Amino acid sequence: MRKHFILLSIPFLLLALCPDAMSSEKGLAIKNVRFFSYAAFTRIVFELDAAAPYVVMKSDNGRSVTLSAYNGPLSVTASMPAVRDGVVKTVELRQESSRTTIVVLLDAAAGEVKDFVLRGPDRIVLDIMKGAVPAPVAQAESRKLIVLDPGHGGSKDVGIVTAQGQEKAMTLEIAEAIKLHLRKKNSDFIVTLTRERDQMLSLDDRAGAANAAGAMLFVSIHAASGAGTRVYIVDPDEGSLAAAPAANKTFLDFDSATEQQERVWGSQQASHTKASGELGRRLALSLGMSGGEPVQAPLAGLKAIDAAAVIVEVGMGQDRSWVAEAVAEGIASYVRENR
Amino acid sequence: MPGNRLLPIVAVVLFIAVLCVGGLFWWRLRAAPPATSPTQQPSAAGQRLNEPLVITLSVPVDGLLAAIQAPVTRQPDTQSLAREALAALFADPTGSKAPVLKDLRLRGVYLDAVGTGYIDLAPVEQREVRASVWEELIALYAMVNTLSQNFEEIKQVRFLVDGREVQTLAGHIELSRKFTKRMDLVKQ
Repeated sequence: MRKHFILLSIPFLLLALCPDAMSSEKGLAIKNVRFFSYAAFTRIVFELDAAAPYVVMKSDNGRSVTLSAYNGPLSVTASMPAVRDGVVKTVELRQESSRTTIVVLLDAAAGEVKDFVLRGPDRIVLDIMKGAVPAPVAQAESRKLIVLDPGHGGSKDVGIVTAQGQEKAMTLEIAEAIKLHLRKKNSDFIVTLTRERDQMLSLDDRAGAANAAGAMLFVSIHAASGAGTRVYIVDPDEGSLAAAPAANKTFLDFDSATEQQERVWGSQQASHTKASGELGRRLALSLGMSGGEPVQAPLAGLKAIDAAAVIVEVGMGQDRSWVAEAVAEGIASYVRENR
Repeated sequence: MPGNRLLPIVAVVLFIAVLCVGGLFWWRLRAAPPATSPTQQPSAAGQRLNEPLVITLSVPVDGLLAAIQAPVTRQPDTQSLAREALAALFADPTGSKAPVLKDLRLRGVYLDAVGTGYIDLAPVEQREVRASVWEELIALYAMVNTLSQNFEEIKQVRFLVDGREVQTLAGHIELSRKFTKRMDLVKQ
């Protein structure tokens, strides 16, 4: 009877919370769009100027979800994110005749979609569960999935600049070289890069992509002036403090589950402290670091990584091919021991 | 006879009046400042305020933190003195040229009641802060150690940029947490 499967057509609760909405037909004003990639689902958060009724519909073929205003126009002042985490491809703003809608294009791993509202500030939340990927295959592959993260990127985040060039270019060059070395060492390794071109990515984008892919380990490449190399792991003190919310993983109902998952974001690394330390020591050894111990620091780029994770900081004056081979050797050694 | 009848009333009124005057006198005595020599104490305090206070700065030197002594002007409270200490770090010939610190200026230092010192920074001329992970780490702990080592009241330190919490200064070190002093970064 219905062409579209209406997930939650009109949340009348919002009308009760916002008495002006029905009479004035103000429409829906979205001022920001954020996304978070979790192990089990992808969350897209639409921040509103004020609470208003909305409609969420899933297409016939199940490959997209459309968000529109129930009453009046939909106005959007935010840019739409390109998620690409295997669950969601992109979020797009579409104009058809006089009607504006937001279309969430779903990827192969997308399953059930749920929506709900949060207050203070007013938000519409879409949770797209993982459902299409057969779990055993994904898990088997993730055992050897190595994510390399070339630091910085894009015109606004070039990193440090020295006579040897820009950090963003050097990190990409070294990450690509490590990938080649790893493939040579073992054809079973699946190696992906968080960026394969000069592209700006936030730290959360990088962590989200690694977590969604089910990485076994995450190595972020950075550069410093000089000729020394350092390996960093997240300060375990910080990790143990942040781990508290993750302990309660038995969710009683949907809302509490998603709310708790949101609080967990940024503390994922806490449960991988030991593994990250081991990976760090392997890399420090293969890179010939004195003392053989990684440096502990409160690292913003690693705290949300749900796998063993390190930063390797390479001196701009170092032999890049040697560094790439040494890092690949350290990674291979860790994977061999931890399969 | 009528005079005799008024006598007790007059006595009671007089008694109450004496009590009131006595009470007023006692209250004024309590409210008055203690009797001290007006010439000695203020001049001693003034003299002490004029003497510089020597504090220890943690300055980035050759990739590690080095402790150096620096005189700062005495201040009436810890918050003002903490600001003086960090201003001395930023003005130090080595500190002012150190990576990250050279791109920042100090907007303010605030202390809360539970021993947290807030360092409010701003980029110099809105310049982007570019630094390696190590340089960012060392610069942050130069400020943390300078405060923690000189002021017992400051148990931990938080950073703000232009009055707001930010994720990082140069893209590496998480700033949404409390920092405590680290001695492993200090040159031995």
